[in-house]
Amino acid sequence: MSESEVLAYPEDSSAAEFEDRLLLAERTSSEINQAVLQPMFRTSWKFWALVIFLSLLVLWGLFAWGYLIYWGMGTAGINRPVYWGFFIATFVFWVGISHAGTMISAVLRLLKADWRRPITRGAEAMTAFALMMAGLFPFIHLGRVWKFYWMLPYPNNRLMWPNFQSPLMWDMVAIFTYFIGSTLYLYLALIPDLAMARDHTGKWRQKLYRVLSLGWRGTEAEWHKLHRALSIFSVAIIPIFLSVHSIVSWDFAVTIQPRWHSTIFAPYFVVGAIYSGLAALACILVIVRKGMQLQEFLRSEHFDALGKLVLVAGMAWVYFWFAGFIVEWYGNEPVTRELIHEEVAGSLAPLFYLQMSANLIPIVMLIFKKVRTTPWLLLVATLLVNVGMFTERVLIVVGNLQRNFMPFNWGEYSPTWVEVSIVVMTFAGFALLYTIFSRIFPYVPVWEIKEGRLRYTVRRIGRLLVPTAAEIE
Amino acid sequence: MAEIEPRWVLIVDLDRCTGCQACVVACQAENNVPTVGEHETIEGRWLHWIHIERYWEGEYPNIKARFMPVMCQQCTAAPCEPVCPVFATYHTPEGLNAQIYNRCIGTRFCGSACPYKTRTYNWLRPEFPEPLHEQLNPDVTVRSRGLIEKCTFCVQRIRRIEIEAHAQGREPVDGEIQPACVQTCPPDALVFGDLNDPSSRVSQLATSHRSFKLLGELGTDPGVIYLKGGETNV
Amino acid sequence: MTKRVSRRDFLKLTAGATVVTGLAPSVRRMVLEPYVQPPEEVLPGEATWYASTCRLCPAGCGIIVRVINGRAKKIEGNPHHPLNQGKLCARGQAGLQILYNPDRLKNAVLQSGGRGSLKFEPLYWSEALDILVDKLETLSNPNRVAFLGGLMPSHLYKLTTRFLSSFGSSSPIIYDLHSALEGRNSTVQLSESLFGSPELPIYDLANAEVIFSFGANFLETWMSPVSQSHAFGTMRQGQLGGRGFLVHFEPRLSATAASADEWIPIKPGAEGYVALAIGRIILEERLGQASSHRPYSILYQNVDVQEMADASQIPVEVLHRFARIFADADQAIAIPGGGLAGQHNGGTSMLAVQALNLLSAQIGRVGGVFLSQPGPTAGFRQNPNPGSFENLSILIERMKSGEIDLLLIYGTNPVFELPTSAGFAEAIASVPYVISFSQFVDETAARADLILPDHTYLESWGYEVPAPGAAKPAVSSQQPVVRPLYDTRSTGDVLLAVAERLGGQVANALPWSDEVDFLQELATELHGSSLGAYDAKTPSSFWALWRQYGGWWTEKEIPREPDISTIVQEPIPVSEPVFDGEENSYPYHLHPYPSITLSDGRGANLPWLQGAPDPMTTVCWGTWVELNPETASSLGVSEDDVVRVISPHGELEAPVVIYPGIRPDVVAIPVGQGHEQFGRFAEQRGSNPIALVASITDPETGSLAWGATRVRIEPTGRKKSLARLESLAGEGRESIG
Repeated sequence: MSESEVLAYPEDSSAAEFEDRLLLAERTSSEINQAVLQPMFRTSWKFWALVIFLSLLVLWGLFAWGYLIYWGMGTAGINRPVYWGFFIATFVFWVGISHAGTMISAVLRLLKADWRRPITRGAEAMTAFALMMAGLFPFIHLGRVWKFYWMLPYPNNRLMWPNFQSPLMWDMVAIFTYFIGSTLYLYLALIPDLAMARDHTGKWRQKLYRVLSLGWRGTEAEWHKLHRALSIFSVAIIPIFLSVHSIVSWDFAVTIQPRWHSTIFAPYFVVGAIYSGLAALACILVIVRKGMQLQEFLRSEHFDALGKLVLVAGMAWVYFWFAGFIVEWYGNEPVTRELIHEEVAGSLAPLFYLQMSANLIPIVMLIFKKVRTTPWLLLVATLLVNVGMFTERVLIVVGNLQRNFMPFNWGEYSPTWVEVSIVVMTFAGFALLYTIFSRIFPYVPVWEIKEGRLRYTVRRIGRLLVPTAAEIE
Repeated sequence: MAEIEPRWVLIVDLDRCTGCQACVVACQAENNVPTVGEHETIEGRWLHWIHIERYWEGEYPNIKARFMPVMCQQCTAAPCEPVCPVFATYHTPEGLNAQIYNRCIGTRFCGSACPYKTRTYNWLRPEFPEPLHEQLNPDVTVRSRGLIEKCTFCVQRIRRIEIEAHAQGREPVDGEIQPACVQTCPPDALVFGDLNDPSSRVSQLATSHRSFKLLGELGTDPGVIYLKGGETNV
Repeated sequence: MTKRVSRRDFLKLTAGATVVTGLAPSVRRMVLEPYVQPPEEVLPGEATWYASTCRLCPAGCGIIVRVINGRAKKIEGNPHHPLNQGKLCARGQAGLQILYNPDRLKNAVLQSGGRGSLKFEPLYWSEALDILVDKLETLSNPNRVAFLGGLMPSHLYKLTTRFLSSFGSSSPIIYDLHSALEGRNSTVQLSESLFGSPELPIYDLANAEVIFSFGANFLETWMSPVSQSHAFGTMRQGQLGGRGFLVHFEPRLSATAASADEWIPIKPGAEGYVALAIGRIILEERLGQASSHRPYSILYQNVDVQEMADASQIPVEVLHRFARIFADADQAIAIPGGGLAGQHNGGTSMLAVQALNLLSAQIGRVGGVFLSQPGPTAGFRQNPNPGSFENLSILIERMKSGEIDLLLIYGTNPVFELPTSAGFAEAIASVPYVISFSQFVDETAARADLILPDHTYLESWGYEVPAPGAAKPAVSSQQPVVRPLYDTRSTGDVLLAVAERLGGQVANALPWSDEVDFLQELATELHGSSLGAYDAKTPSSFWALWRQYGGWWTEKEIPREPDISTIVQEPIPVSEPVFDGEENSYPYHLHPYPSITLSDGRGANLPWLQGAPDPMTTVCWGTWVELNPETASSLGVSEDDVVRVISPHGELEAPVVIYPGIRPDVVAIPVGQGHEQFGRFAEQRGSNPIALVASITDPETGSLAWGATRVRIEPTGRKKSLARLESLAGEGRESIG
C-alpha cells in the first residue's frame, strides 16, 4: 500500500450508506465467498428447463446448418446482389457485443474505476462467448466450408498462400488474436477465485478447480505476478479491441460499394460495438442478478455507472452516425442517394426507423437516474439498444447491397428459416454457454471485491468519518 | 512467346446489338453454366455469365429501349481481386481477371465488391439430369455448389488457339481467337482481340469516339469497351 | 468480301472430311464396334468438327458441331456457310439439348393404355413397321391416309411426297405455328402474285439506307433471323461512313423495334394504310426518283391520304415525313412482315407494303428486294412451303367427318399450335389410327397410338435449301455428328422400309436401300458444276466434300432480280381489318408474338432456352401479359398481378408485365409456353395465347388471322412473381454513379 488519498465526502451523507455502497457492511470474507459460491450450486428445475430449451434451439440450428451445407447457400435468402445477409449482420453484431468485456475490464481497470469490480467477470465471459458465436459465422457463410482451412497460412506442396490483402484474412487474424487474448484475460482473473472455489467445494468441482487454479496459493509473489500480467493484458488488449471492429468495418469499407466505402466506418463500428456491447452487458447483468440472486453484489450503483457508460457510448454513436450520414446525404452521389432514399423513405424505412428509435430512445431514457437504477427499466432500455444495433447491422449489410451502380441488378432480400434458425442458434448458444459458465465459475470476482474492500476504509478524523482509498495496483 | 503480353479486350458495339440472347446461350453451352430454373431466378439467383440489360427511355409513345450486354468487365484495377482471401480470383499477365473455381471457398466477397455485379454464384447444387451432362465441355471445370463463377473471356478457347498457333510456330492471328459469345453474335456486335496489337480490329475500334467504359469513373479500367449506339463512327 | 481461311477452319474441314471412313458410316450401317478401336479421326480428348444444318427453325443455317470422344459438345455457326456466315442464334446454340434431352423417346412405342393415357409399351422396330404396313394395307382407299408435316428436312419431304403419290394419296399438308406467325404462306403467295415465283424474297438489308419494317421481326424469329441480324449489323456500322435508318411499325415495341431508330405503335391492321399513304404522298409530291413512279400511279388510285391518316391514327405530317425519308434514300426497303399476315386484311396490307419497293424501284437493286437464285440447285428446291390454314381446316373437317383412317404426323404439334377453336383436338379423336414420328411426347404425340421417333437432327441425314436464301445459291447438308443415342429410326428409312414391304409401285417409286443412298444420288447431281465453291474429281469425293463443307454453294454471289413485268396494274384495294369479338365486351386487341427463344413453343423443352430471358421483359420460364402502364392503371393492376385474359374462344391467366412500349388498346402475350406435355422443362409452365385465338382467316391468302382476336382482361387479385432478370426496383434505368 503506497500512497493514500483522502476523498472529500459530502457531509450530509451517512456513513452507513457509504459503507453499504463499498460493500463494507458486516460481511466477513468467508461470507462473501459463500454468497458467491452458493448460487452456483442452486440449480432449480427452471435452470434445467432453460438449459434443455436452449440446447434444443442449438440442436435445431445445427440441423439448419447441416442443411445449408448439404444443399448450398441457396437455402438461405441471400442472392445476387445481396451476397451477404443475416449471417454477416449477426457476425458483426456478435463481434460488437464482444467489445464490452474488454471495455469494462481493460479500459476501466486502467482508469481505476472501482465500480467495475463485481461485473468484470460477467463482462469478460460475455466477450469470450460472443466471440465464439461471432467466430462461427465466417464458417457458416462459406459456400464450401469444408475448404475453410485454405484460409490458413499452412505450408503446402503447391506453395499456395492465403491473400493477406484481403480484409477477411485481417478479420481472421484479428478475431483469433482477440479471442485468445480475451479468453486468457478471463482465465487469468479467474485463477484466484478458482483457488477459492477449490478450497470451498468438493467432488468433481474440486478436481476441476484444482486443475484450473494451477496451484494458486495466494502468495505475495503470485499476486504480484497476476497484477502484472493483468496490467500488461489490459494495455495490450486495447489496440486489439480497437482493431477488431475496425477490421470488421473494413470488410465493407475497402470495397467501392457506395455507403460502405467510407472513412468513418472504422471508428463508427467501434463506437457502435461499445454501445451495443455495454447495453448487452447491462441486460445480462439484470437477468443474471435476478436469476442468481446476486442483488448483494450487483447494486444500483453498478447499474447507474454502467447506464452512464451506455449513455456516453450511445451519444458517441449518434455523433459518428450523423457525421457519416450527413456527409453522404449532402454528397448526393447517385447510388448513395438511392441508398439513402431506400432507407429513409423506401422499402427499408420500417427497419431504418426501428433502428433509429431503438437506438435513440434509450439515450433519452438513460439520462434519468431512475431508469439507470431500476433494473427492469434498464433492461428495457438496453434491450432496445440491442434491437437497434442488430437492425443497424442488417441495414448496413443488406440495405447497402440491395442497391448498387447497376439498377438492372438491384435486388431484395428476406431471410429464410435456415438463416433465422442459425441466427437463433447463436443467441441460444451464447445463452447456454453463459448459463453453464455461471454455474461452474464464480460469476462475481471475489478477489476483486475483496481487493476493493482493502482499498477502501473509513477513518475517523476527529468527529468526522472520512473514507480513504489506497493505491494498491 | 511474344515479347509483349497480349491485353485481351472485348468490344461491344451497342449500335449493332439486337438483344437476341444468342451470346447468352452460347456462353452457357461453352462454359458449362448450369440452368437454375424458375424459382431461383425469382429469388434473384439466376446464373448467366453474360446477360443483356434492357434500358427504357422516355414514355409511351415516345419510348426507346436499348440493349446492353454485360459480362465480367475484366478490370485492370479489379475491386474483386484484393478481397479474395484465397487468391481464387487474380490477375493474369494477359490482363484477364481469372477465377479459379477449385480454389474458391465461397465467401462471396468478390461479388459484394464488384460494382458491375457480374459475378454469379452457385447457390445450389448444379443439376444436369442425365443425359444432359453429355453436353458438358471437357475443357471447362464443372462447378459445384458454393463457389463463384464468371465470364473468363473463354480462356479455354484463348489457350486452345494459342497452343495450336505456337505448335505451328506463329502467333494467333487477329480475329482467330473468339470467345463463344463473339463467335455466335449474329450482328457482329462483339469483337475480341489484343489491345496491345495496334493493328488489331479492337485497337482500331477502341479509338472510336463512340467508345466508353462501363462505370468508367470508378477507375476500374475494364477490359470490355462499349461503343455507343445511335451514331456513326465518322 | 474475301475471307481468309484460318488454320482453325481448315482443321475443322479436315476433320469433317475423314467422316468418310469414320463415324458416319457406322451410323448409317449401325456397325457396333468397341470403342477400343475408335474411328480414325477420334482421338481421346481431341475435338472433331462436323458440318451440318441447324433444324430449330426453317431458315437452314449451316452449323459445325464440336465432337469429343463421340459426344457432341458445342454447336457453332459454319463460318463458310453463305447464309449465316458462322453466326448462330440462341435457338441454334441450344440444339444440343434436343440431342441430350432427358425426356426423349428411346425407342418406338405403342400407347397401350389408350390415347392420352401416357402408358407406353416399347416395340421392336420390326413390330412397329408391321403395324404401319398393316394400317396402310388395310386402308379401304389410299385417300384415307393423311400426312401432316411441319418443319421437315427437304429430303424427307421429297421421299414422303413420292411415297404418298405412288401410294395414291395426296401430298403432305405442311403447317406449323412458327411459319404461321412469320406469315410464310402469305409471303410466298404475295411473291407468286407479284413476281410469278412462289418464294420468299430476300431483302438486302446490309446495303439499305432506309428500312421500313412493317411488323417484320427480322431480328428475332422472322424468316432467317441470323442472316438478317448479320445484315443489320452491317447496315448499322458496316457501311462506309453511313448508318442505315430503320423504322419499325408494330403495335408492340418488339426487340426489332428496340433496335430501330423509330418505333411507330401502329394500330393493329392499319399497317397497309400507312404504306398506301406513304406511296400516295410519294406519287403526289413526286418525291425521290419521280421517273420510276409512272407505271405505279394506278396502284394508288383509290388512296386518300387524309383517310388513311385517320384510319391509322398517324398524323398526315408524320406520314409526309416518312414519305420523304423513304423516297429520298438511295436504297430504301419496305418489308411486309409476319404481324401483317396475322390480320384479316393481311394479304392486302402486305401488297401495299411491297408496292413501296416497286414505287421506289428497289426491286432487284442493291439494298433492295431479290429472290434467291437457284442456279444448279433447282433440283433440290422442293421445299415444303407451308400450306395455308384453310388447307389445314379442310383436313380437320375431313378428320371430323371420318374420312381419314390413318393420320401420320411429322415435325408439327397441331394440338398445341392451333387455336382451340380450330377443333383439331376433337378431330384427331375421330381418326381411328394416329402415328407420330416425334422424338418427344408432345401434346399431339400424346394423342397418337403409335410413336415412331425419328433421330434428332444431330443424328440424322438430310439437306435443306435455305429459304429465304443467301446471295449465293446454296444447299445446306445435314449429317449425323454422333451415333444415335437411342433406338430411334430415321423417318426416311422408315418410309423406305415400308415401301419395300408394300412392294409394287410404291417400292418402285422408292428404290433406295436407305435415305443416304437417296441423298448421295441427289447430292452428286451437283458434282461437276463449275460454279461451286469447291469441286471434286469423283462423285464419291464430292459426296465427302458435300458433308465436309456442310453443303454446296457457289463461289460468287449470283443475284436474281424478281420479274416484275407481269405485275397487274390495278389499284391496291383498301381493306379494313376485321376482328373477332365485340369491341364493347372485348376492348383489347390480343397480340400474340413468337418468343425469341422458344419460337412457337418447340424450344420450350430445352432448359437453356427456358432460362434465356426474353430480351424486352427479361422474363424467363413463364408466360406474362404485357400491358401499357395506362391500361394497367385503368384495370387497377400492377407488376406481377395475375390477370385473366378472356377471348370469345378461351381464357388464360398470367402475371402482368407493365410494358411501356405497347399501345394502350393492345395486350401482348408471348407464344411458346403452356405445354401440357413436352417433357419436364416445358410441362405445366405458363399458358398458350394461341388457344384464345379465333379461327378466322385472311380471305386473300387463307392464312390464319392470329392477330385479329379481341380480348378483355379481368384482375384476379392474385400475385405471382415472374422470373425476371431485371430488378423491378431499378425501373429500367441504365448504370448510375
